[in-house]
Amino acid sequence: MGIEQDNKEIISSIRENAKNLLSENQVDVVIGYSEGTVPLSSTPIIIRRVEDIEKLTWNNLCYMNLARYLAPLMPQLCDSEGKSLRIGIVAKGCVGRAINLLAVEKQVDLDKIKMIGFNCNGIVNRSKIALEIGEKEILEVNISGNEIIVKGRDWEKRFPYDQYINELCKVCQVKSPSSTEANCVGECQELETINDEFSDITEFETKSAGEKWEYFKEILQVCTLCYSCRQACPVCYCNLCFVDQNKPVWFGKTTEYQDIFTFHLVRAQHLAGRCVACGACSSVCPVGIDLNFITRKLEKIVKERYNYTSGLNAEKVPPMMDFKMEDAQEFMLEED
Amino acid sequence: MTETVLEEKKVDKNWEPKIVAFLCNWCSYAGADLAGVSRIQYPPNIRIVRVPCSGRVNPYFIIKSLTDGWDGVVISGCHPGDCHYISGNLVARRRFAILKELLEFFGIEPGRVNFMWASAAEGERFAVLIRKATKIVKELGPNTKFQREWC
Amino acid sequence: MEKVGAVMVVGAGIGGSQSALDLGDSGYKVYLIESTTSIGGVMAQLDKTFPTNDCAMCIVSPKLVETGRHQNIDLSINCEILNVSGEAGNFTVKVKKNSLYINPDICTGCGVCGRNCPVEAIDLFNEGLARYHATSVKYPQAVPLVYAINKEYCIGCGVCAGVCKAKAVEYDRDDEIVDINVGAIILAPGFDEFVPQAANKYGYGKFKNVVTSIEFERILSASGPYAGKVLRPSDGDIPEKVAFLQCIGSRDYTGEGQPYCSSVCCMYTAKEAVIAHEHQHEVKPTIFSMDIRAYGKDFDKYIIKAQEEYGVRYIRSRISSVTEIPETKDLRLRYETEDGKVIEEDFNMVVLSVGLNPPNDAKYLAEKFGIELNEYSFAKTDIFNPVQTTKAGIFACGAFSQPKDIPETVTQASAAAGCVNQLLYEKRGTLITEKSLPPEIFVAGQPPRIGVFICHCGINIGGYVDVPEVTRYAKTLPNVVMSDRNLYTCSADTQGIIKEKIEEFHLNRVIVASCTPRTHEPLFQETIREAGLNRYLFQMANIRDQCSWVHMKQPEQATQKAKDLVRMAVNKARQIAPIDRIKLPVTKKALVIGGGITGMVAALNFASQQIDTYLVEREAELGGFAKYIYHTLEGGDVQAYLKDLINQVKSNKFINVYTNAELEELNGYIGNFKSTVIYGEKNERAEFDHGVVVVATGANEYKPKEYLYGQNENVILQSEFEEMLNTDSIIKNKKSVVMIQCVGSRNEEHPYCSKMCCAEAIKNALLVKKINPSTEVTILFRDIRTYGFKEKYYRKAREEGIIFIRYDENSPPEISTENSSLNVNVNSVKAGNLSIPADLLVLSAGIVASHEDNEELAKMLKVPLNDDNFYLEAHVKLRPVDFATEGVFVAGLAHCPKTIEDSISQANAAVSRACTILSKDEIEAEGKTAVIDVARCIGCGMCVENCAYNAIELIEDRRFGLVASINQALCKGCGACSGNCRCSAIDILGFTAEQIYAMITGRL
Repeated sequence: MGIEQDNKEIISSIRENAKNLLSENQVDVVIGYSEGTVPLSSTPIIIRRVEDIEKLTWNNLCYMNLARYLAPLMPQLCDSEGKSLRIGIVAKGCVGRAINLLAVEKQVDLDKIKMIGFNCNGIVNRSKIALEIGEKEILEVNISGNEIIVKGRDWEKRFPYDQYINELCKVCQVKSPSSTEANCVGECQELETINDEFSDITEFETKSAGEKWEYFKEILQVCTLCYSCRQACPVCYCNLCFVDQNKPVWFGKTTEYQDIFTFHLVRAQHLAGRCVACGACSSVCPVGIDLNFITRKLEKIVKERYNYTSGLNAEKVPPMMDFKMEDAQEFMLEED
Repeated sequence: MTETVLEEKKVDKNWEPKIVAFLCNWCSYAGADLAGVSRIQYPPNIRIVRVPCSGRVNPYFIIKSLTDGWDGVVISGCHPGDCHYISGNLVARRRFAILKELLEFFGIEPGRVNFMWASAAEGERFAVLIRKATKIVKELGPNTKFQREWC
Repeated sequence: MEKVGAVMVVGAGIGGSQSALDLGDSGYKVYLIESTTSIGGVMAQLDKTFPTNDCAMCIVSPKLVETGRHQNIDLSINCEILNVSGEAGNFTVKVKKNSLYINPDICTGCGVCGRNCPVEAIDLFNEGLARYHATSVKYPQAVPLVYAINKEYCIGCGVCAGVCKAKAVEYDRDDEIVDINVGAIILAPGFDEFVPQAANKYGYGKFKNVVTSIEFERILSASGPYAGKVLRPSDGDIPEKVAFLQCIGSRDYTGEGQPYCSSVCCMYTAKEAVIAHEHQHEVKPTIFSMDIRAYGKDFDKYIIKAQEEYGVRYIRSRISSVTEIPETKDLRLRYETEDGKVIEEDFNMVVLSVGLNPPNDAKYLAEKFGIELNEYSFAKTDIFNPVQTTKAGIFACGAFSQPKDIPETVTQASAAAGCVNQLLYEKRGTLITEKSLPPEIFVAGQPPRIGVFICHCGINIGGYVDVPEVTRYAKTLPNVVMSDRNLYTCSADTQGIIKEKIEEFHLNRVIVASCTPRTHEPLFQETIREAGLNRYLFQMANIRDQCSWVHMKQPEQATQKAKDLVRMAVNKARQIAPIDRIKLPVTKKALVIGGGITGMVAALNFASQQIDTYLVEREAELGGFAKYIYHTLEGGDVQAYLKDLINQVKSNKFINVYTNAELEELNGYIGNFKSTVIYGEKNERAEFDHGVVVVATGANEYKPKEYLYGQNENVILQSEFEEMLNTDSIIKNKKSVVMIQCVGSRNEEHPYCSKMCCAEAIKNALLVKKINPSTEVTILFRDIRTYGFKEKYYRKAREEGIIFIRYDENSPPEISTENSSLNVNVNSVKAGNLSIPADLLVLSAGIVASHEDNEELAKMLKVPLNDDNFYLEAHVKLRPVDFATEGVFVAGLAHCPKTIEDSISQANAAVSRACTILSKDEIEAEGKTAVIDVARCIGCGMCVENCAYNAIELIEDRRFGLVASINQALCKGCGACSGNCRCSAIDILGFTAEQIYAMITGRL
């Protein structure tokens, strides 16, 4: 038992399913994870041949959301004759959610996609570990039993696994893709709705405006506007992101707080009802900002207001694509 | 707002907020006109920007207004069901609901940005709500959060 | 006599305005004649409208403004008709235009005269509840905004002439008499409400807290006497208990009121009750009525909502008298409940739901125009065409022919215009003048050269805002090359000045700082266009309605605000660019889907205007639902009418009939549709182009699952019964016939009233009595909804001994069979359990729409269905036959259950609306539309979902893949798409992101 054993089982099921898809010519390529080149990381990989199956792996550092490689690139994934490829994709629950959302937004063609589903067992919280390790160089990271073992030149540190995974993963209820078996091999489930819990957000909301402002100023101040979060996000696929737009230039490119604030606020608005809670943005942030705290708020808004959870199926449109006469409007200014 | 905070800010007693108001052409702008025709007096703090429909109001307009130093923002459209464009205000309402929650989450005072409905026949309501919004913003004090440090 | 391409419309309420707009848009010269001093009629007085609770002013005022400034509509107010001569195609009408004592051509409507008038006169518009002045407009948003002096109250003091800077007051201005030559006439004088007599049993006029419903409407209105607060007149307190008494002056055989049903009171009362509660939650309304006649589209749902959500209490009783409690001014009502108890109850306020009378001048009008009136002094109209009066070439619409609500009035207004089209189509475009304009000056690439004109508006702006200071300030702003101030920027001479300045300073942007663009922007746009500038190179700063008038006590701040507003306008003007309105060609052909009466009337109307028409019918035979109807309640011979229609359609060379036909494909947009039809037994295929679509697909009769229908041969449908009565004499052997109403209507599955079943039942019941007076007929009902003049037949049925028994919706009748005889057990609300033997049980089955059929077509046409699967029009009040998708119209049962006459009106109305498109060679699309930057667009489809007009679709772009594409013919420029676009790929011309950015920045 233990995480180590889980991972072995997951890897063998991924390889088995990928092998079948390729050998039965159900897909042309498989997108998956391979071992990372530096510690605390993993690398996405595209496999075309059954011989390369062994390169596919799974560990708890596979933080990237592989759906990122589908949009807006999917139309470009073609063979030499220009025929679009059929894709197999290793899909933890949040990858499945992203694929469903991208299908609703017409960015991917579900007929050409086979998810290789499995029950994800969580992603290590890189910044939390990095914070505890400090400046020291990490040479190796392993998972043994239920512990994360981080090794350096002449030191070793152990972290209990269940405490050092992403906060999102701790409360995750979509561990395998929410999909029909037509679109998925391996583990999948057809979820109608989930009951998420937002007590951390609710608690934060009780703070005064000033306290909230100071909190965000504190955690966002270190942002360098590198846009890694955007790059890692599976649903950020605009041709021209708002940060790069001119005519007019809605916000500046300095690292003064007002520009950082605008970036994160507008990004949040754009992700409302679309965020699939994969945590990739937080994982890739080089300065360790907990961006999931913002995206959790988004999930809370759309869940409470519009009873919507993104990516549970490929039909229901996100709340910003829809409206109802009876939508709540308690926030409107009214006469006393 | 507590007195100590006010004191800290050293607000000029004669300070008057500047508020930008995005009004939809068919209901709220007409309601504002009716307030005028009926000579209903309200504070002179708002500067009106006419838009075809509340559905036109992009979050950028609101965020830019705040970061550019307006002390308050008002967005007013037709009541649900009255929209000249059938459902523009309903599309806008979801957008505004989310934006307002986010602004407050990030620590913008709830009263800085006010969304309202006012019909073409509601000159009085328009004036009452503008009075109320002006009072709220005035109590919040100047919007200094976004002053550039190098200014 | 030669036909004349002009039409006179008498009465400029919502009906007259709609007729005028339809005809003006179809290329006729229209003379719109109004007897009062402004247009809009009763609708402009309303606070909200049922069943949507839409704000009446919000929806009507754009239409009135459009009427007021339509270039083909010549509007005359304060008029009298003196004499009419001629015949269909060529009438001459002598009209007296009574003097307003203010020159309407000069008056700017600024209102200084009214505010300075020392004598107060009564304001008719607020129903005597507010005080006004001798010099006045009817209401603040009046069209035309011209003041008039009421000579009855004027004391000739001369104050108004003194304060009028425009010099518009002319005390000795004479009345004017003109002869107007027109080809057709539409009468739309509306109605007058019933006014309780001086000594009435309700204490109206004696007890202060007894008001009529139209007075109560003004109390509810935000622009009314108490600014929308529900207060009672005696002491200004909030009335907690408000009683509404129905049928005041209607269904009244005592001679005090009218015997007919006024059709609209049940609904407007429900609305007033709901709005009163909404405005003031303390208000608990109670409605006393005999029947609840909620027979229109979605009306029943409204009544249910009023009861369940707003706590409106309904009591079935007619109140015979009201007494006042002198100390409290409360009112005591005594009523008998249905089960016979007598109750006394006190209320704080009583509202009399007064009925609709024919207009006071109905007899005068009838005499002048040579038309006949009916027994109730309403205009007498054709039994199958309710807009045709007894004289050819003269049409009536709206409440002048029968009490009716707004959508029916608007429908008839268009229907009358549709009939005018038939008469005068060849004279279209002969009397209207096209303005010749200079070519537009090319300004692209030139730096902005802005001219600013600042208006004093007499003292309306100048009295509070330091106009010279604002003018100086404007001159300092970037790209402003001149700024000037005028006494009245809107006056005719200033238009000349603006043109001169444009030439002198080579202006390429013009700003006027004055009143509101809502009324004045088109005027100034026209001026700069005449000077060679594109219309859209214009901006307005609203420094009167939204500045000087609302900050009258703060001149300094008002001046600062005016400066800011001018600067914001300049900032925007620096970003504006010319906009070209695109023009689209029009295929002058029509597609009509459905070959019932509605579809055939529409097709024949098109054809009579020599418009090629394709009529597509699913069945093998034309005729539709009407095949099963023999007579109307009023005695019209439906079968003869239908036979005649079918013959006309079949022999008309402009109509291509496809039977056994299905629409396979329909593509395109307004003016440019393309359809494929599979027809005939051999499944042949036809393809054709057309410019408009009329949906007249009808509906079906409900096939009951209840009451043993289909199991017992003596249980039949009303339609089957009608056939039996008209073709065989078996009824003579029947001793007892029982009818059950609301079978498949007003229940959970079909929560609406089917409108015609009550009339059908009474019609057949009367026929039974005629054939065999000894047959006993019993009608089991929930409400008898014989609205309008149909009430007469309800009364007749009662007189002839037909038994009416009301049952409650929760305890429907039950049927038992013994030895093949039927027994109907009913729990009568009045008399308890009854058992009635029946030789025949007749079920009044409702009208149902087929979800599968309608949805398929709706998707093809991109139009919506309502919850009950009927087609949903663009606006339930003012656009009853239009769809939000332009160029597509709906008529007949496809829209909702209705009578044959109403279907025919809708058919003609749909044709009239369609002719506003088909009469043109090309249509001009609105310039301020959405535009797509395909390089930015990622094709997520958000805009497609958010567009209410189906103006956006996703297309495959050669370079950019899937991207959104906007059909400018359909786009209205609302911007709902652009506000949500993450990529900023959509912008709205006239309100671009850059322009708004410029307005909100650069402030400090």
